[in-house]
Amino acid sequence: MTDFLQAIVNGFSQGSIYALLALGYVMIYKATRVISFAQPALMIVGGLFSYHFTSELGLPFWVGMALGIVCGAVVGMIVERLALRPMLGKPVFTLAIITIGVDIVLRIISNRYIGVQSRIIDYPNGSDRVSVGGVSISQQRIGLIAVTTVAVIALALFFRYSRTGLAMRATALDQETALAQGIRVGAVFALAWAIAGGLAAIAGTFVAAGNAGIEQTSWIIALKALPAIIIGGLDSVQGAVIGGLAVGIVEALTATFQPDVAPWLGANFSLVAPYALMFVVLLVRPYGLFGTKEVERV
Amino acid sequence: MKLHPHAVRASVVIAATALVLSGCRSSSDSGSGSSPGISDEPCPQAVNKDNGCISLGVISDLTKGPFAPLAVPITDAQKAFWKKVNEDGGVGGYDIDVTSNIADAEYNPEIHNRKYQEMRKDILALGQTLGSSQTLAILEDMKSDDVIGLPASWNSAWEFEDQILESGANYCFEAMNGVDWAVAKRGVKGTVVAVGYPGDYGGDAAAGVEAAAKANNLKFEKIETPAGQDNQAGAIAAILKQKPALVVVTTGPAEMATIVGGAASQGFTGTFVGSSPTWNPALLKSPAAPALEKLYFQAGPWGPFGTDTPGHQAMRDALGDVTPNDGYTAGWVWSYPLLAALKKADADGGITRESLVAAAKELTEVDYEDMLPAEAGATKGEPSEVAFRSSVISKVDKTAPTGVAIEQELTTGPTAEAYDFSKPCFSLQ
Repeated sequence: MTDFLQAIVNGFSQGSIYALLALGYVMIYKATRVISFAQPALMIVGGLFSYHFTSELGLPFWVGMALGIVCGAVVGMIVERLALRPMLGKPVFTLAIITIGVDIVLRIISNRYIGVQSRIIDYPNGSDRVSVGGVSISQQRIGLIAVTTVAVIALALFFRYSRTGLAMRATALDQETALAQGIRVGAVFALAWAIAGGLAAIAGTFVAAGNAGIEQTSWIIALKALPAIIIGGLDSVQGAVIGGLAVGIVEALTATFQPDVAPWLGANFSLVAPYALMFVVLLVRPYGLFGTKEVERV
Repeated sequence: MKLHPHAVRASVVIAATALVLSGCRSSSDSGSGSSPGISDEPCPQAVNKDNGCISLGVISDLTKGPFAPLAVPITDAQKAFWKKVNEDGGVGGYDIDVTSNIADAEYNPEIHNRKYQEMRKDILALGQTLGSSQTLAILEDMKSDDVIGLPASWNSAWEFEDQILESGANYCFEAMNGVDWAVAKRGVKGTVVAVGYPGDYGGDAAAGVEAAAKANNLKFEKIETPAGQDNQAGAIAAILKQKPALVVVTTGPAEMATIVGGAASQGFTGTFVGSSPTWNPALLKSPAAPALEKLYFQAGPWGPFGTDTPGHQAMRDALGDVTPNDGYTAGWVWSYPLLAALKKADADGGITRESLVAAAKELTEVDYEDMLPAEAGATKGEPSEVAFRSSVISKVDKTAPTGVAIEQELTTGPTAEAYDFSKPCFSLQ
């Protein structure tokens, strides 16, 4: 039982990273109907900003992370304004391909900063552990879960109660109608990218504060948020959170129990377990667990 | 802007594949010239304008591969080494050019092979070929070209290859010495687990761990783990489940820190011994640092950067003001046997590819300036007779230049001493 609970805790904390990234994907998709493949680079860029503020300039972790989030959001807005806005009206597939180009460009720039060293943020007392009933978790992971929780609640409140949030929801429903109602759709797009950049920066910051920090190959972590958004539903905020956590938990549970329960699946099956879950969900619910079922008039 | 959800999902899969592939792609350099790598013309930026030029190739992991943090200083140290050789007059009337044929293979055997094809007509020898599988990918061509190479790896198979001029104990002996040391000094009993990359690097060390486990009456388990810090959950779970007294790690630094930090954060208190490429001093800033200080030890082929020997001092002097890194140490040490082979080939009648291959097989000692004993460079004889079997054990020390300090000087453990080295520990495929 302790192993099970420990796997859940491990998966929940790792899933928080995926959830933050998945939220970014969903934010942009809801606003623009574009899957942004620039999220891996935004995660790295945001994490590097936080690294620079904390490890290079000596600011406290939380201040450095706050500045990193702001910088990540600004980078997201700049990407939207320079690379995506001019292509408005083009097929979404074209825009998605452009985000791949943006991702590559940002990663090349980031790699020049990273160089050959790991960029590691010193999280205050990050290795200290809290243990309850044989299940333990580090302070750094507690911080990650807490920040993710705050971010998710803040986003939910923002969409539910703020006028801007309402405008974003309206734009997500129907851009032309929203435009007719006086909503500045362009500003909504920019805001969606800013939020996605900020969320990616939080994820990047905690990757940098992890045991191995940010390296040139760390962007691959963000690709695990892709099955998360398919599982949760491409246009669902709660789906992104649950999908992200599900990926983390399935990965951890599989890593812990599959070698004994189903050794015939081979070594390291946990790496493909999230994708197996994705296929199962797609078979049962093609639009994801919380995705909107599209009805088309014929 | 609307697109059918199925199309969107398809685009996700296609684009994700493109993203992954983009991470594997590289630019290609253009090959040039058709010389055999030795010329009477002076080298570019020659130190000795009257000398001819010997061109050495370097195929390394300089940007995005897992060993880039080590490979860049390795390459820089080799540049410094040959610069010093040139400043001392060169070899046999030739300066050594190790800067004109440097290629980044990203720790990828296919790219490694492509880079070799591009430079094979331009070099006398390879001053560095990084990685075991990577070197294997070009080995047959090296043989047909009469090109010898310095491996930036410590695979036991190299002892059996005439084209490869290795230095220091291989991963297999290193792992044996790590286990023997842990048994003797840390009181290890019960189970020992070898955690490593699939393939030759992890496999060679695992074979050494298995031999040492058998010699020390320990239970042996092997866990293969892929590269990537986010892919270590399986290895951590397995360690926590089996609760071994000793874990021998053969991965990159990021994976090692993730495994040690992850296992320790869940209460694991066993000993970790990592092969030399598992260490990176930057890890001392990570949350894994306390666990590394407490549980991690490094088995290495020679003393770290700050060690007090004439060779280490020469290296530090040649490099000048650099951030200490044991990639420098490795690059410097690895270069001595090639210098010795060049001198022997010159003394035996002149430097050619063929004479260099012959000289490399006939070395009885190499002057490592005390970084290693001279007999460590012997190649003349059967591998079972001349293979160097001693390793250094280091522990984490924040005050040391590279974050590790020697715990036990070069020592051959009883398992390595008695091991029947009539074939490689792990067969390269």
